[in-house]
Amino acid sequence: MSFFGFEQQQDLENEKRKFLEGGLSGAPQDDVAVFTWGEDSYDGLGDALQEGGDELNDETFGISGPVGKDFDFSGTALPEHEKPTPSQASHTQQAHQQAQQPSQASQNAQSSRENDPSHASHLDAVWSNKSPFSVLPRSNGSSRAHDQLGNSASKSSSLAPSVPQSTSMQKPASLSLGPDLHKGVHTLEEIEREMRAAAAAQHQQQLQQRQREEEEQLRLQQAQQQFEQLQLQQQLLHQQQSQSQLSNQALLQSPSRTHAPRQVPGPQHAAATPPPRMHPHSQSPRFHQQQQQHQIHLLQMQQQQQQRQLLELQEQRERQQRQQLLELQEQLRLEEMERQQQQHRMQQQQMHAGVNELMQSHLIHQRLNSGGLSPAFDNRARRVGRQSPLMTPPIPVDVPFAQNMQYLPQNIQMQQRLLAEMAQAEFLNTMQGASLPERETRESREMQEILRVEAMRKIMEAERMEEKRKRKLDKIAHMSRYNDLMTQSDKDFITRIQVSQLVTQDPYADDFYAQVYGAILRSRMGLPTSEDRVLKFGSGGGVGLGLGQKVPGRRQSAMQRMEAQVERIVNNARLREKEKSSLNNLQGALGRTAGRSYKAAPRQLLQVDSNNVSTSPTVSHASAAHISKSDAAKAQEEGEGAAREAAKIGREALRNASDSTGLVHRDPLTHREALVKLEQLYDLVLDLEQRRRDQPSPEEVEEFEQWYVYETQECSALIDQLFEQLMVSVPLEISTPHPFISLITPIKGKKLLPRVARLLDNDRMQILLTLLVACFSQLDVVLQAPLLDTLEETREVKDLESQTQAFLGSVVQSILPVIAKAQMRLVTGLFGLLLDRNDIVAIARTRPGIALLTLFLSRAEVILQNVANGSEVDETPTPDELQSWCVMLYNHLFELLRPHLPLLFPSVRLSMLSGVNFTNIPNSDAIDQPVWQFFASLACSANDAQQQVLVGGLRDVVLENVTTATKGLGLESEEQRRLRLANVNLFLHALGLDSSQIVV
Amino acid sequence: MDSAANGIQEPFDLIRLSLSERVFVKLRGDRELTGVLHAYDGHMNLILSDVEETIMIVDQVEGAPEGHTTVNIAKRKMEMLFVRGDGVILVSPPSRT
Repeated sequence: MSFFGFEQQQDLENEKRKFLEGGLSGAPQDDVAVFTWGEDSYDGLGDALQEGGDELNDETFGISGPVGKDFDFSGTALPEHEKPTPSQASHTQQAHQQAQQPSQASQNAQSSRENDPSHASHLDAVWSNKSPFSVLPRSNGSSRAHDQLGNSASKSSSLAPSVPQSTSMQKPASLSLGPDLHKGVHTLEEIEREMRAAAAAQHQQQLQQRQREEEEQLRLQQAQQQFEQLQLQQQLLHQQQSQSQLSNQALLQSPSRTHAPRQVPGPQHAAATPPPRMHPHSQSPRFHQQQQQHQIHLLQMQQQQQQRQLLELQEQRERQQRQQLLELQEQLRLEEMERQQQQHRMQQQQMHAGVNELMQSHLIHQRLNSGGLSPAFDNRARRVGRQSPLMTPPIPVDVPFAQNMQYLPQNIQMQQRLLAEMAQAEFLNTMQGASLPERETRESREMQEILRVEAMRKIMEAERMEEKRKRKLDKIAHMSRYNDLMTQSDKDFITRIQVSQLVTQDPYADDFYAQVYGAILRSRMGLPTSEDRVLKFGSGGGVGLGLGQKVPGRRQSAMQRMEAQVERIVNNARLREKEKSSLNNLQGALGRTAGRSYKAAPRQLLQVDSNNVSTSPTVSHASAAHISKSDAAKAQEEGEGAAREAAKIGREALRNASDSTGLVHRDPLTHREALVKLEQLYDLVLDLEQRRRDQPSPEEVEEFEQWYVYETQECSALIDQLFEQLMVSVPLEISTPHPFISLITPIKGKKLLPRVARLLDNDRMQILLTLLVACFSQLDVVLQAPLLDTLEETREVKDLESQTQAFLGSVVQSILPVIAKAQMRLVTGLFGLLLDRNDIVAIARTRPGIALLTLFLSRAEVILQNVANGSEVDETPTPDELQSWCVMLYNHLFELLRPHLPLLFPSVRLSMLSGVNFTNIPNSDAIDQPVWQFFASLACSANDAQQQVLVGGLRDVVLENVTTATKGLGLESEEQRRLRLANVNLFLHALGLDSSQIVV
Repeated sequence: MDSAANGIQEPFDLIRLSLSERVFVKLRGDRELTGVLHAYDGHMNLILSDVEETIMIVDQVEGAPEGHTTVNIAKRKMEMLFVRGDGVILVSPPSRT
């Protein structure tokens, strides 16, 4: 090789010298060459020479490279392609001749390279085609030079280790002619030289072949070296890229910062037409803060957008790479085939060299297997098969602004590097074995597919997130139109007003329904029924917090903020109150309203607390409007005292009155008075109920006992008060109706009774019951009951109906347990009272009356049965009582009712009024049912004669009912029929009969 | 009995007495209500049930002499009603006949 190269070198030198010396002598050649330039057959070789072949020229002419390199005959440090082969030599010679001024061309190339800022010196290696794989086709335009080089030099140059050089080996003659054919015109000299060169090549073929083996080996070494070099470059590249990335980010951030305010619509708009409070000095600090936040938002948005772009870019690049890889694989396969073919041919031609070759390949294998290559190389080769580092998604996003052209070269470099790696890996694989690359290719393809899917998923996800975020931002932007219309002090002012409306003395009571409902909800959900959701302040004030929020979050924190704010406001108000406590401030205050214009609730500056404040919670309401009334709690206590005092006075007055004359008639309570008293009663009941609710858990023994002792005293006092106010103990004759009856005349009075009944003990309830029975006919529901016997639907009837329902539902229900526990003595006593003081016939025609009578009768029946069974030991009635019940009361009742038996049925009464048959009265069965029940209980206690009377008296009604029920006359539904029969049977069963026995 | 003993301190206490009673409410815009009062507040917002609303529609008859108007009365009933306080002129117990 050395002599060969030397020869070539000499040749070239000669040529050069000739060229330089003989500008004139070389003129005809030049002319010829010049002519070809403009012709159609011109194939751009000139360009190729100018652009692509610079290195060769440089090396050849020693312009750029140190001369010493050319004479490094050992060749170890020399890149393969720098070693001139005969064909290359000839080609370069021609190139020399064609290029009029090669030095200039090389200079141009060099200068152009230097002009490009992105071409750092250490990148030149990549660009300057020293990599043996750089001849591979590329899809981008920047590799035009390489392509052309590939075209022009693939046959002659030894840049590609496999294909081109082999062709040059095979057909030396055609090789020498190759470029000439393109040229068309040749000088004799040229042809002659070529012929000579060809002959020399042919002559030296054997030698050359052997030399080629050496070269191959050398090339491998060089490749290794180059690879190491490349790796170094890569590292450098990475560093550089990361640096550039950093700088890019810095770049990105700085413009975005400047851009951000321009994109903010809200503040800009606001600035254009500033509201009155938008002057800079009145802007709250939060305004600036918000602006900053807005900018930050925008920044983030931009960054995210960039990231998205990068993602897209990445994907794009991956796609490119995939395509390139496919192309590459195709090419490699072709090359492989070609090479094999060629090798085959070669083996045929040069059997003697085969041994050498075998040795050679064996040697390479050994080198490869024994790790003769650098470990990094080895690793990479293995890794590249599966995935290139670029293809892994999580690599740092290297090119932030891919769209910018200035970054493209880097991008391309990366691709090139990647391709080079892959090609190298392929090369090695093919050397190692044929099956390996296929498998690895498949693997890599699968991997790519997976990666692609993964990338797609990530992109979709990112887009979704982006969409969501965008919507949120839009919303915020939309809302922020009204940002900072109010200053912080405005907001505080309004909050103060609002809070002042919310704060009350008794937050629980004022938030009662929400509190109770919340407690019910919590207990239903199985949550611990925590303490009241009430925000309390030191001096008894507080705010009800309503239902507990289930979702913690913004609302929750808002709640906490409000709590803090309220606390602060209340404390401030209290402080102010203290300051004002001196009387000096009140000078000239008469008739003025308090400082600020609370238009909602104007307040006089001078407020005089009256001492006689009632216990009514309206007090708390009244004082709640002004937090400053700090002594409201005290006033309430005083009020309670006053109320108690008043009650005591009243009681004394009553006692005195009754003492003096025994019977003092008074005007009955007016409706209004009754209502007033009812309100007081309600207050008492609510208070008592609240105390019961405040009861500490029995687990805290000490506290509980302490509370118990205290509360029982308190409560018993309150209950006493309650009982007094119910006016139950007032003599019967004091007025008509009795005050208690007046109290339960309004519907809320009736509804109060069950709640009172829970608080009162049995004795008091018996007194109450006695009073009720004694004054039964005074009840509105009894007095007005005849009004109900109508089919008209007036409002009065409806009101009375609801009153009656309330009485049955509340009053009767509250006395029911008393009667159910009553002994015979009480029952007879009450029954006697009822018969004595009331018109029993009139009462029996009312629903409340029927209900009461049924209660007494059934209780008496139960007692009598218990006596018969001997089960109720302690309640055994005396024979006198039994006697009086049977003889006196029951018989008396029976005799009283006897003439009016059918008339007890509302339906019968209605039919008498309206002229309609009682069976056709709408809803007759429902309204008759209590009466049937009454008759059933009456029949139970009746003797035979009385039963006969009952049957006789009710015969018509029973028959009519049974007939219509069984025949279904005028009855729409089966249900109605069954109800009717059930009613009749209720009565008949008490007599030991059944409706089925009645033959219609 | 004096008002203090009755616990009547402020106008609202009088309305309180009518809780769960039938009340007559006069409203702006020639409207009247009768219904059972269930709740009220400081703004005189009311919650009424079983309400009958009476609307007076005053029509100026065309061609008729000035001041000669006819009053049509429209009535409607509602189960439950929330009355906004700003329309309330008067709340009273219904006149007892």
